[in-house]
Amino acid sequence: MFFRMIFRALFRQKGKMLMIAFTIALGASLATAMLNVMMDVGDKVNQELKTYGANITVVPKQASVINELYGLDESEESGAYLKEEELGKIKTIFWAFNVVDFAPFSDTHAKLDDGSEVLLVGSWFDHHLELPTGETLNTGMTNLRSWWEITEGRWLDEQSGDKNAVMVGSVLAQKNGIKANDRIRLTTKHGSEELIVSGIFDAGGDEDEHMYAPLDVVQKLSDTDGKLTSIEVSALTTPDNDLARKAAKDGPKSLGAADYETWYCTAYVSSICYQIQEVITDSIAAPVRQVAESEGAILEKTQLLMILITVLSLLGSALGISNLVTASVMERSSEIGLIKAVGAHDGAITLLVLSEIIVTAVAGGLVGYFAGFGFAQVIGHTVFGSAVEMKPIVIPIVAVLVVFVTLAGSIPAIRMLLRLRPAEVLHGR
Amino acid sequence: MKKQKMFFRMITAALIRQHSRMLVALLAIAVGATILSGLVTIYYDVPRQMGAQFRNYGANMLLLPSGEGEFNEATVNNALGVVNKENLVGAAPYRYESVFINEQPVIAAATNMDGAKAASPYWLVNGNWPAAENEVLVGKSLAAVLGVKEGSSINVVYGEESRAAKTEADAEKTAEKKDIKEKDIKENKAEKSNETDVSEEKEGMPFTVSGILETGGSEEDYIFISLSDMAVLTGKGGRLDAAELSISASQDELKAYADKISAQNSAVSPRLVKRVTQSETTVLTKLQALVFLVTAVVLLLTMICVATTMMAVVAERRKEIGLRKALGASDSSIIAEFMGEGLLLGGVGGLLGVIFGFAFAQAVSMNVFNSSINFRPLILPVTVIVSVLVTGLACLLPVRNATDVDPALVLKGE
Repeated sequence: MFFRMIFRALFRQKGKMLMIAFTIALGASLATAMLNVMMDVGDKVNQELKTYGANITVVPKQASVINELYGLDESEESGAYLKEEELGKIKTIFWAFNVVDFAPFSDTHAKLDDGSEVLLVGSWFDHHLELPTGETLNTGMTNLRSWWEITEGRWLDEQSGDKNAVMVGSVLAQKNGIKANDRIRLTTKHGSEELIVSGIFDAGGDEDEHMYAPLDVVQKLSDTDGKLTSIEVSALTTPDNDLARKAAKDGPKSLGAADYETWYCTAYVSSICYQIQEVITDSIAAPVRQVAESEGAILEKTQLLMILITVLSLLGSALGISNLVTASVMERSSEIGLIKAVGAHDGAITLLVLSEIIVTAVAGGLVGYFAGFGFAQVIGHTVFGSAVEMKPIVIPIVAVLVVFVTLAGSIPAIRMLLRLRPAEVLHGR
Repeated sequence: MKKQKMFFRMITAALIRQHSRMLVALLAIAVGATILSGLVTIYYDVPRQMGAQFRNYGANMLLLPSGEGEFNEATVNNALGVVNKENLVGAAPYRYESVFINEQPVIAAATNMDGAKAASPYWLVNGNWPAAENEVLVGKSLAAVLGVKEGSSINVVYGEESRAAKTEADAEKTAEKKDIKEKDIKENKAEKSNETDVSEEKEGMPFTVSGILETGGSEEDYIFISLSDMAVLTGKGGRLDAAELSISASQDELKAYADKISAQNSAVSPRLVKRVTQSETTVLTKLQALVFLVTAVVLLLTMICVATTMMAVVAERRKEIGLRKALGASDSSIIAEFMGEGLLLGGVGGLLGVIFGFAFAQAVSMNVFNSSINFRPLILPVTVIVSVLVTGLACLLPVRNATDVDPALVLKGE
């Protein structure tokens, strides 16, 4: 009988119930969309901030300062190098998944045919890497120097056979009259090589005066096979908090066992640096503060902004839903009066009305969840060009929100109706 | 005249009589309007506020000597005059010299400490920034090499001959730091053999290390002193190698500034730091698009919510409409009255929304960015008009449906 009454009520008042369900669906979809976007915005913005380049640099332990200060040409004898064969290990650290890109660097001074000396930097451009774990990865300068503007020619394409090619900085190219597709000869004391200029780039920095060639070309020219001068790593990190600051200041050893565990297992830039040092022999990995610090600040602000907007929209949808529910319950005063007159208990009436509303709310909430997920995807694809991850935690939050808001909207109205006297209501006052 | 008076009386009387129900509708509209005005304010404010955050990345424009004429503090200040004062976050002039500490060649950068602090907010100083005379900031890796700590004193010696050699090199120099460093090193190396005796004869200047600088970049290999100390140390002042500017502006605005500066002053060659400007544009555009889309979605949904609430409220009053019709009111007058009510509600709700929305946007801004926002007068009419339109449209549909009914049936209660 109870079910029959509920279903009859739902079908009889099809239009009205549909409207309530529609409003609840809207509210729920808004909540779902905002919560999903809010929870994913950190990762998405972090990904975008990668256009600022590497946030960690790895250099050999033997203070490179001395070498740099006393002259770069002698560095071959000083022997402070990183080992190229260890590069893949960067993708085996605890936070390997957060390492987005990395590229090795090796540089040497070379002479052009006219005798002028240039700094030749060897690196990966879009290197295809097969990791010991069986994964494959394309990484290199095309990602780590995304702000370079190619003014002539194109990016050096390592994979399709630009083996003996070089990219030249715009200032250097202008000074020496180098054009794309020119052939230039570079000579060092270990040999000489003829390279094709694949492109001229404008980096808006000191890189404009250097040349960039594939790593093996430079290693051959400087006779440093398998040796690297530095590695740049771009990793997704969590903004620093007090724990991370303490670890960075006093060293991870100063932390207690529990704190150490937390620190090690959180993607702070300092813990990722620490983990890189663990796998690369004799290395110092240091955060590039310009990038690391700003990333943290911007990320925090964006997340906070999204949280506040989400709270506002949740509040808005909650008020909208409970408003409508209140209005629709109030409307049914004569029906409730009649049931009361027939002899129903207050409890039974409350149960009846609530069940109706909840059934409607659940139906609306379900539709709303999927619609909201769709909205989140639209936002993700339009803004970031990638899907917004589905967070399971959103489902219970939205469910609780919908049920709570519907109850909060209907209970005061029902209580008010129960106080009315059936005779008065039926009389039409 | 009388007719109009009656009309208003009917509207206001209806609103007051049914106060609880109207309060519900008003609340719905006010919430909708709050979200509208709050989000639109935030949307317009995001680029400015976020742009300020992006200044954490440091300088986005470099002023370099073009080789024509003097490049000194006056030149830089002159160039700075072009930039809007409010947008200038920081400006740090730099002068690089190679000096000797413990007989080791070191790059000394002279700058205005306050300017450097503002232009490079990411610099981490363990200890204090140099404030008094003869205080020096030492880069972290250099400090490790020299074995100095906060509070240590170092003796800085300036070799006069390296200065002469350097001025020659200056002509072709572009002031990227690394480059300067390399050149200086080469000069120093070349000169070291014949110059060591010269520098030994010089007494140098004692400096106190006020702090150790950590940046993760090449700055960690330098020492930083004030421009006036550098002038005393070298015996010459005025000349600069570069100036770093941190300007809160978009890439296009920066380009315009750069063009203006180079047109006005031929001694200065302004360059954008592409890495910072390009990336900032990319990220900022995405962020603004995100807030825009979110705003659009939230607005759409709130408006539908407001509309459904209004529909429910109007649909409830079918009985009243039936009664009016039975008394002889024309359809159009009924519609006009209901619309009038709706529009009044929309207007009041919209006004409330503007106030609450601004309060909300202000709260967000204070919490997130620690800065207040300006009230945009345009938001007021837009919010009121939109909320009046939405409520008007939402009323129109159910009222028109209601006028179709047979008064007898409605009044009978079917």
